[in-house]
Amino acid sequence: MALKALDIYKLLPKKNCKECGDPTCLTFAMKLAQGKAEPDLCPYISDEAKSTLGASTRPPIQKVTVGMGTLSVTIGEEFVFYRHEKTFYHQPGIMYAISDTESDERIREVVREIRNCHLTRIGIDLLLNGLAITADSGSPERFASALTIATAGNPDLPLVLMAADPAVMEAGLGICGNYLPLIHAADDQNLEVFCGLAKKYGAPLIVRGSDPEHLAALTERCTGLGITQLMLALSGDEGTFVRYSTLVRQLALARVVPGLGYPVFYDARDTGFSGAICGIAKFASVIVTRPLTRTEMQAVLVMRQNIYTDPQKPIQITPGLYRVGNPSRSDPVFLTVNFSLTYFTLQGYLEATRRSCWLLIVDTEGMSVLTAVAAGKLSEAVVKDGIEKFRLADEVDHKTLIIPGYASPLSGRIEEYTGWNVIVGPRDAAEIAAFMEEELK
Amino acid sequence: MTLTYSPGWTASIREVVIGATASEGGTRRVSYRIGGEADLPAIGPGRRPLIAFELCDDPAIWPEVVRCACTSLIDNPPDWARYVDTILGVDLIRLNLSSTRRRNFIAYDAVSRIVRDILAASSLPLMIEGSADPDIDSKVFQQCGEAGGKERLVLGTAEAARYRSVAAAAIAYGHAVIAQSPIDVNLAKQLNILLREAGVPDDRIIIDPYTGALGYGFEYTYSTMERIRFAALKGDGDLAMPMIAAPSDSLTVKEVRGSVHSHETAIAWEVATSVAAALAGAAILVVRHPGSVQPLKESLKNLWPEGGMI
Repeated sequence: MALKALDIYKLLPKKNCKECGDPTCLTFAMKLAQGKAEPDLCPYISDEAKSTLGASTRPPIQKVTVGMGTLSVTIGEEFVFYRHEKTFYHQPGIMYAISDTESDERIREVVREIRNCHLTRIGIDLLLNGLAITADSGSPERFASALTIATAGNPDLPLVLMAADPAVMEAGLGICGNYLPLIHAADDQNLEVFCGLAKKYGAPLIVRGSDPEHLAALTERCTGLGITQLMLALSGDEGTFVRYSTLVRQLALARVVPGLGYPVFYDARDTGFSGAICGIAKFASVIVTRPLTRTEMQAVLVMRQNIYTDPQKPIQITPGLYRVGNPSRSDPVFLTVNFSLTYFTLQGYLEATRRSCWLLIVDTEGMSVLTAVAAGKLSEAVVKDGIEKFRLADEVDHKTLIIPGYASPLSGRIEEYTGWNVIVGPRDAAEIAAFMEEELK
Repeated sequence: MTLTYSPGWTASIREVVIGATASEGGTRRVSYRIGGEADLPAIGPGRRPLIAFELCDDPAIWPEVVRCACTSLIDNPPDWARYVDTILGVDLIRLNLSSTRRRNFIAYDAVSRIVRDILAASSLPLMIEGSADPDIDSKVFQQCGEAGGKERLVLGTAEAARYRSVAAAAIAYGHAVIAQSPIDVNLAKQLNILLREAGVPDDRIIIDPYTGALGYGFEYTYSTMERIRFAALKGDGDLAMPMIAAPSDSLTVKEVRGSVHSHETAIAWEVATSVAAALAGAAILVVRHPGSVQPLKESLKNLWPEGGMI
């Protein structure tokens, strides 16, 4: 439950010492209420007040950044359990794992695979986010040299350094520590040293334990040492992951276990493709997997795009006159709305007919045909506007538009208002091939 | 202290029985009880979703990639069914009567013949996807229902605009019904109420929320399924039916059709969609590519290690 500024003010020492950087305790309280300041900035705050505030001013899941620059990955800061409640905000970073025992050439190859992965769907670039290097060699020298190879020419590629031995981790951080790599992982044995390393480089730290309770205890120790850029490591098969990840998310959102208010890291090296899909659906914020095949990689990136699409905002396509195939001046013109899903579905089925045609996309503010007709966003005026703006008459030498089946109530008005003839097409894009065969011989 | 969280569920998913063994009056070697869960999918005790393989009686409209993968089997549906049962090892067979989608279909006798042939070829429980045309539905579903005898088939598909024929056949012969609505929790609820009023018992309805293909609206399906499961666990009896996900559009999307690696793409698309649908609450997952079965089995085994019991 979020506290109001005045409630927070009551918990502060009310000294107006300005040491937090704010002129008064009240203005500091207002910042805390908005999540724009951390309670730690106040040197005189009581532990009790800090824990009360810590649990109420921060988002239920801490925001964490991995890497620097345009490729950096920001995760956490999530507020809901179901995407339909609002949206999932920060999509998981997907990292390919490689062992430092692999050859230098293989390491270069996997880095190339990550960097060359470019998939564009509905106008958005989908990317793999980085590389995870595991210190299976056990040798500080080899770990460092593997990282030198991986980062040559790619200093900005986000990294996960996976080593339990502090000496090995330190050697790795010596190569790339300034680029905020994710440190995997602090456990019961090495926690103090790893916290020291995380502090030295300002890098985010993953804690690893046997279950959520253990993880919460470890993060409490880390925050006690001043480390707050933390992640919780989960591993195991899909079922184990889903059960723990669900519990962590539920407890974090309920704010009942402050030590669990951190994004989840899923080591899916053993579960691969199916593990990555489970990670995306069930709250993982960084997923490390073996390098996937090209088709698996595409399915994973598209799944991530689907699950992290904001349900409140339809994805839109820019209105305009689009070509399917290589249309001539006599080829048919299909009209539809600028809801991207409608566009891409229709385009796919039109391409499958292997006949060229024109696709006139008018601006319905991203609404689907049915909702646009109901809300008056698809109207004769919008159609006329589209015909004129995109100079349809200059491109074709006929005056016939094929409109979606669900827009049939508008057919008469469109004809009158635009002077174009209207043919009512099918309701379902899947029927477009049959429609073309019968109606447009 | 072990950490736990109680989401405050008050109800569970209704159970539906599919297939009938000899002791239950049918001839199937196994029957399944689906549903029954009282928590989120893969959380707490629950049943592993069943994998159904869909085949058809007229492969002309079937996805190219499946026709290639199933080779000449597709010209002989009983052989195809045997292969799916014994070699692929799925849980259920779904027969799609694609022949009924042809213009001017009148071969009603062939419908009961093919249903009998498939029931003879494999002793797995059977689902049937019938016609989609109100003018022929009545005769087609009557034939299916009768040919299915006491086998407790699953008949599909009932939609708000045309559910009476399939409902009538299900009521007359004791089969279950698939109730499909266009990715909308309220329409799903409405259709269940219509079916109940038509006389279909609640424990013989399976919700098909309609599965948008990955990359083509799957997120709408995913959230609709999550909402249905949530409503059911919170006590909405009109939505407390088990769900089926049939990513049948997945194999006709551009990525699969246009790919040089069309088989790998088909499998990746079907498996990804099925795993996510299982996590959103599907009790039955329908696939069409033979290569999807093994990876999907493996994944479901990890997600539901206990397998069957509640």
